[in-house]
Amino acid sequence: MPVKWLLHWQPNQGSTFSSQILNEVTQSIESLNGVKEGTWKATLNYYKPMLQDQANQAEFPREFVGISLLEEPDKYYFVIRSQRIVVEADSSIQMIMESLQSYKCKLSFYFEGLEYQLGDFRLRVGKVVPTHAETIRGVVMEVEYLPISSMGMAKKLMEEFLEIWQEAMSKRSLPGKFVNKELNFEKFGLGDNYTPQHTAVGYAFFMANLMAAIQAGRG
Amino acid sequence: MSMECVVQGIIETQHVEALEILLQGLCGVQRERLRVHELCFKSGPNLGVVSSEVRLLCDLDQPEPTWTVKHVGGPMRGAGADQISVMVRTMIESKVSKNALRMFYALGYKLDHELLKVGFAFHFQRTAHISVSVSSVNKMPKVHAVDEAVPVTPGMQIVDVTAPATPENYSEVAAAVSSFCEFLAP
Repeated sequence: MPVKWLLHWQPNQGSTFSSQILNEVTQSIESLNGVKEGTWKATLNYYKPMLQDQANQAEFPREFVGISLLEEPDKYYFVIRSQRIVVEADSSIQMIMESLQSYKCKLSFYFEGLEYQLGDFRLRVGKVVPTHAETIRGVVMEVEYLPISSMGMAKKLMEEFLEIWQEAMSKRSLPGKFVNKELNFEKFGLGDNYTPQHTAVGYAFFMANLMAAIQAGRG
Repeated sequence: MSMECVVQGIIETQHVEALEILLQGLCGVQRERLRVHELCFKSGPNLGVVSSEVRLLCDLDQPEPTWTVKHVGGPMRGAGADQISVMVRTMIESKVSKNALRMFYALGYKLDHELLKVGFAFHFQRTAHISVSVSSVNKMPKVHAVDEAVPVTPGMQIVDVTAPATPENYSEVAAAVSSFCEFLAP
């Protein structure tokens, strides 16, 4: 599977997220002659334990997420970041979780938007929306380098692309920039060869960062 | 919703070879080796409004062990169920990557018991997709010590006949399983 980076929108100090950023991003891609290929969507679900006694909440993982990815329609991914666990399962695992009734999905987010081809790169840019509301909470960008599956081998090219991308975006005077947050996939038992499990871990961290930014913005 | 039809029986170890020959003739397929580590988990005392159970099965017969999560419901009850000699129950399974074991521990599930099933199985189509397995059930002296497993009942083995079903077809599947089992009755 091609190497993928998940880019986070890092707002400038004191600025807030605006959905206008999404329009600017798609216009930037199109100005670089990116070819629109279609739409994409991913989902991330937060599960909470159903406890008889809330006092013992600390015994259970504070963050347990389930992720479904467009490129793996028959699969579902679980991530427990605090314990460095990622699991790939058939999508029927969701029915098992529902039958067990020990954990329930309390909050879900969609990532959805447009997909572009730009030379050897595939770009996806999407809004982050809670499933129960219309408010756009953030923007995510996926950058895939199609010819290479080794993260080590692709790193320099991805960094060069990111520089070009940041420069293109800087011309639009937006209150922030896209950054890549390097993750230690080894701690999750994942290797150098990129897989959907890497993507699942990436989204779990992406949402953790976004939630922290939202909380910080409120405080 | 997924379901399965199940019949279970026991057989003395001395008769297993004869049963294997019979099954070879009846099923018309090659037998497959069976070596499955079955871990049964129960939710911890505080977890869930009701307690829940889930099984992790590790197929040790593959070059790389493969894992499956399985959730089995109670048998069907009621007048309809009484008419059927085969047990019909909900069953959902999912292949999982190897971290599933760590994940269930992390989620607050406790290992209730574990078994190693060693034997053989036949998988074939006869109205339904039927699987017959004959296996010795082995327990482990230490947690996860698969290599040290010893038979729970040395002179006896378990025969499992199962077939997946849906709410729409479970009657037909149960009938197919039942009719197949008649050949095994003696």
